[in-house]
Amino acid sequence: MWIDLHYLGIGLVNAFHPMNFAMIIVGLMIGVLAGALPGITMLNAIVLVLPFTYLMGMVPSLLLMIGIYCGGIFAGSITGILFNIPGDPMNVPTTWEGYKLNKKGFVSLALGMAIMCSAVGGFLSALTMTLLSPPFAKVALSFSTAEYFAIVFLGLTSVVVIGTRSIGSALISLFIGMALGTVGMDEIYGVFRFTFGSRILETGVNFVIVLIGLFAIGEVLEQLSMKAKEAGGTLRERHKTRLPRLGELWSLRSTILRGFGIGCLVGTIPGAGATVASFVSYGVEKQVCKKPELFGKGSWEGLAASETAINGSTGGAMIPLLTLGIPGSGATAVMLGAFLLHNVQPGPLLFTKTPESVYTIFAGMLLCNLIMILVGLLVARFFSELMRTPEVILDAFIVVFCLIGAFALRNDMADVWLMAGFGIIGYFMRRYELPIPPLVLGLILGPLAENYFMTTLIGAGNDFTVFFRRPLSCTLIFLSIALFFLPYVRFRKKKQPLEQESEISSY
Amino acid sequence: MKKMRVGATASSLKGPGLIFSMALYFYFLAGRIQDVPISGQLGPAFWPKTILILLMVSCGIKAVETILEKGRKTGVSYGSSQPKDLNIVRLIAMIACIMGIVWAMEILGFLLATFLFFLVFTRIAGWRRIASLLITSSLGTVGVLYLFVKVVYLPLPKGQWFFNDLTIFLYRLLAII
Repeated sequence: MWIDLHYLGIGLVNAFHPMNFAMIIVGLMIGVLAGALPGITMLNAIVLVLPFTYLMGMVPSLLLMIGIYCGGIFAGSITGILFNIPGDPMNVPTTWEGYKLNKKGFVSLALGMAIMCSAVGGFLSALTMTLLSPPFAKVALSFSTAEYFAIVFLGLTSVVVIGTRSIGSALISLFIGMALGTVGMDEIYGVFRFTFGSRILETGVNFVIVLIGLFAIGEVLEQLSMKAKEAGGTLRERHKTRLPRLGELWSLRSTILRGFGIGCLVGTIPGAGATVASFVSYGVEKQVCKKPELFGKGSWEGLAASETAINGSTGGAMIPLLTLGIPGSGATAVMLGAFLLHNVQPGPLLFTKTPESVYTIFAGMLLCNLIMILVGLLVARFFSELMRTPEVILDAFIVVFCLIGAFALRNDMADVWLMAGFGIIGYFMRRYELPIPPLVLGLILGPLAENYFMTTLIGAGNDFTVFFRRPLSCTLIFLSIALFFLPYVRFRKKKQPLEQESEISSY
Repeated sequence: MKKMRVGATASSLKGPGLIFSMALYFYFLAGRIQDVPISGQLGPAFWPKTILILLMVSCGIKAVETILEKGRKTGVSYGSSQPKDLNIVRLIAMIACIMGIVWAMEILGFLLATFLFFLVFTRIAGWRRIASLLITSSLGTVGVLYLFVKVVYLPLPKGQWFFNDLTIFLYRLLAII
């Protein structure tokens, strides 16, 4: 049997433990609110709660983050459908179709369809994760450090290839992140590197500080420095939501299954994430559906394909995180941070050492997607009220929460200074279009890559061919190299990229 | 016209050039990493040096991309900074405000620094309603303090000298401690 039903049962019971269940609900609420409010992304919300997970156990922390992840990843569609404002780049295809459907008078059903498609995609994806993660982990246990290095290498390469507009910029960002990862004590030789005699740098650059600074503070500076409009919100009409009937949902079954499949598959590729899944699914659906002429004019297929793929990617992204310790997206990169904060290294051993925790996470994710229907309905119903919260006030609170979050890590003001510094760097990275996700993944995966690389070479007596002598390692390295050159081939074929591609960013 | 294009290209190369210079500086610093050499091993400087070389190569790739892009003169430009409606004064003021609160947290303490931050930040960001500004700042500060000091027991900075006593007095007044 692929899954251990005994542990799944324990996981389900654990997920209903008051603390765990509360974390799922709180996470979903925070996620849906953050995802739906333009300017606050699901990733920002996960980053903001990360320091506070210090105070909790590993499982409630992860469930809180999974709640935010599942809720936030769908919620941007609400503002997209209602006001033509996608909460996140991944919600752009939904907005294209949803807002047109709104204008045609189908706003209630469009909202309901988005909620249901997200829930179905997310649930199927969580189920896939539950079924496929354990065998995936068993296979992963036979890997040596050479294979691990090859996988991390693939992760680093995928980040560069997928979802970025300039390979040069993505590489610069990635290597800056990896260079930052070398600061502090070298784990293999026990030597300090680039610490400049600073006590705070001896333990390395804390990725939580970098994440908070780059994403949250950088975003606040970007938003408020661009605006010439008067601060404050405008009052809008409130809309009701109608869930689709079974027949309406059944008529879109092929679209939903395709969206889920694409979402799940793209989600498992490190560095791809929901945005790429959403655009790919939308594009594929346009090619294969019976009414492609309706795309861009209010197509139910377009809306369903995008929404199912977005949430379908969540389970897929969790598979490499849980089984290999490789984050498949920005959000799972932060979740990896939560694991590390609790001194737990995700990977195949997680399934043998703490199977209860893993299955509680599985069960929690399944629950999340079911509860999301209720939370989504509530939030969609009352969202017009929340839209009245002035953005300026929200941004001020975000900055204060970031300061507290950075301070809470070690009760040290030096961390707060570092976080503020990275906030300014984050702003300039946005300004000069230097993508941030590669830096973050470089910072997280860089030390792992170094560790596996050096350990493998020490074991092989500095023989570099060790990476090419093992079949899987060799295949993965060549696959990485092929992926690296893919954009150049694609660029030469197309000559001019699609306008839509420019809106893709790697989340 | 050609001169202008060359000028624009040179300007676009400043960023990669700056990063390249910094990478080169750190590359030389990596050479000074103290190490007891073990024969047959690569040593602690190998990895950072490799990364820094790759970073410098990436700067080269970016420079080539920029030059090709400017030469192509097509509608779509990869990696170039798009013109945006930037309010530079507001940006500088906000950066100063964020750095200011970090400094003020150490000197004035979290309570006073946050209250002042809410006031100044929202004002700079364009919030004009004075009454709501004061109410939001006060309630926001007290709410955050209750949550993190009273509920979570986080020892947020109380400030120095007179401000330390003032913060403690205000904490007692607000029944936070």
